Amino acid sequence: MLKKISIYGFSALALGVGLVGCSANDDYPGMEYAPQMYHSVPYEPLSQITDESAGSWLSSRTDEKGEFYNSNGLNPYEMNMRLPAEGTVARNAAAELPFRMPKDSAGSTYYLDQASATLRSPLPASEAVLSQGKVLYTSYCYPCHGESGAGDGPVGQVYKGVANLSGGQVAQATEGHLFYVITHGKGRMWPHDKQISIEDRWKIVRYVQTLQNQGNN
Amino acid sequence: MSENHLDMLEESVSKPALLRSGLVLMVAGLLWFGSIPALAQGQSAGAPTQQDVEAAAVPSADAVPATQGDAGGIPTSDEAISAGAALFKNNCQQCHAIEQVVVGPALKNIHTRRPVEWTAAFIRNSQKLIQSGDAYAVNLYNQYNKTQMPSFNFNDEEIMSLLAYIKAESDSPTGTGTNQASPGQGGEGVAPAESAATPGYITAILVVLGIVLVLVLVVLVLVLAVLRRYLNQRTDLDAADREIIDRRMSFRSVVSSKPFLFLVIFIFTAVVFKNVIDGLYQIGVQQGYAPTQPIAFSHKLHAGTYQIDCNYCHTGAYKAKSANIPSVNICMNCHNSIGTDRPEIKKLYAAVENNQPIQWVRIHNLPDLAYFNHAQHTSVGGIECQTCHGPIQEMEVVYQYSKLTMGWCINCHRDTEVKTEGNDYYDKLVQLHNEAEAGGKLRVKDIGGMECSRCHY
Repeated sequence: MLKKISIYGFSALALGVGLVGCSANDDYPGMEYAPQMYHSVPYEPLSQITDESAGSWLSSRTDEKGEFYNSNGLNPYEMNMRLPAEGTVARNAAAELPFRMPKDSAGSTYYLDQASATLRSPLPASEAVLSQGKVLYTSYCYPCHGESGAGDGPVGQVYKGVANLSGGQVAQATEGHLFYVITHGKGRMWPHDKQISIEDRWKIVRYVQTLQNQGNN
Repeated sequence: MSENHLDMLEESVSKPALLRSGLVLMVAGLLWFGSIPALAQGQSAGAPTQQDVEAAAVPSADAVPATQGDAGGIPTSDEAISAGAALFKNNCQQCHAIEQVVVGPALKNIHTRRPVEWTAAFIRNSQKLIQSGDAYAVNLYNQYNKTQMPSFNFNDEEIMSLLAYIKAESDSPTGTGTNQASPGQGGEGVAPAESAATPGYITAILVVLGIVLVLVLVVLVLVLAVLRRYLNQRTDLDAADREIIDRRMSFRSVVSSKPFLFLVIFIFTAVVFKNVIDGLYQIGVQQGYAPTQPIAFSHKLHAGTYQIDCNYCHTGAYKAKSANIPSVNICMNCHNSIGTDRPEIKKLYAAVENNQPIQWVRIHNLPDLAYFNHAQHTSVGGIECQTCHGPIQEMEVVYQYSKLTMGWCINCHRDTEVKTEGNDYYDKLVQLHNEAEAGGKLRVKDIGGMECSRCHY
């Protein structure tokens, strides 16, 4: 009887110890239940499994690769995502077209001057636009330019050379100037056109205009 | 919400803290038994050297003002300096600093390096000066990548006050106040330190309590021995009493006794049962997964200390299904000039030069059978990133904070009220809901948050 108990006991103990290894820690994501339902069959844009033998123990694929192999071998670095073809225009609800004014070559301010003189904001300075602009400003501009636009944000103090939006020359800048600088950068500031959509940039411009006025008053 | 997070952190801290405080006690005990003088000497020998270094550094900084030449009529009044400071902050700061090269040259001691008239001419119209063939100006223009300095229409007084400010900043031994603001001044660092102190205090009490209990046990055993010896010395006891006194508990009889066996088997079964159940519940749950990333990126530094919004890098968080992993050009917005000599930052430059993607390891692997959309939760639902991702701004290495199980999703959908204020879309729905269920709040489950096909299709 005692022997039986010890057999059951030890097998239960072994099961318990074995199951401790199921939980995730540092580099180990943990054990998966029904892994076929966890892993994507189509190309998954933000996860990539380059190991061709991953999941080969239950593979039903005809190309002799593992069930979980999820990479596009035709792309560089087997990436699942591709850059859009050159010149592609993304469709959007606002029917906005890409901003085509190029970046000035070093030392020239030709396009910046043109943008300052000719570009006009398509958005009104309405309350909705300003409040959205403020949210976007806090996300994208606050770290350097600070809450009041004085260039004293937590990153700006370390990065140095951050423009003061509420006083001096930038406070006189036109909306076109602001838009162009957000798009292509100026001086120490790098371009933000890849991060912020055109419409959002114009919203930020509207909000920055309130910061400019605050400095003049 | 944040208080809850701290509680969770405390719980997770307390176990290792117990071990640690035990170790500390042991170490303290060792110190007590003799080695204190040696260690104390070692410490006192280390301290003065640092002071010596500081003391040596101060005079060299003080020596700077002594080298400067004639001030050339630059005002030294406080009004002029503060007027100059305002002008500098508004117009110059974006390209110039006192101590270091930013876009244009560092301006330290400009009043001794260049004549005042030349500086004034350059500020008012640098291009005119360059085109007039001034050798220094042309050289400067070429040296700084032919970057045009804009013209500033300052009058004489403004230029003098600007120079007064630059002179005052150049002369101050500690450098400028604003330029040397420490990056770590965010208040976030204080709270975790406090929360870590509390469990330490509690474990200390527990350890002391344990020691007291052991002492009590020792005293009781001693009392037993003394009593037994006393009874053994008495001669007026009969055989039955003597048997009781001499009775020893044999190890074998205890082990083979039924209550003992029952207890052992019960505890063994209970522990194994708990482990098995816990282990089974961990299958398919990746909570706590904290993989090593190709670049040791710290969210604590970026999102905590520097208060960079999640959305600055994760551009899709409010707009798209996925929050997105930032591309290298977003890193380069700052790291084109910050930390350029650090090994982790150099990995960025290597990626840019080779046009090679950085292969970050995905942490939140939602099963393919479930659909999740960030924009729906952040933009429409108005949920903070931290609700699901935890105190990201305090994580040196990001770990999966939430369980991401279906029960976890559903619980939130049951409890969370829909944010209907200011959203015309919901007006009619709220009205209908109130008619059907008077006083009942409109929760996510009421607008289809519990439908299977909402997430599984």
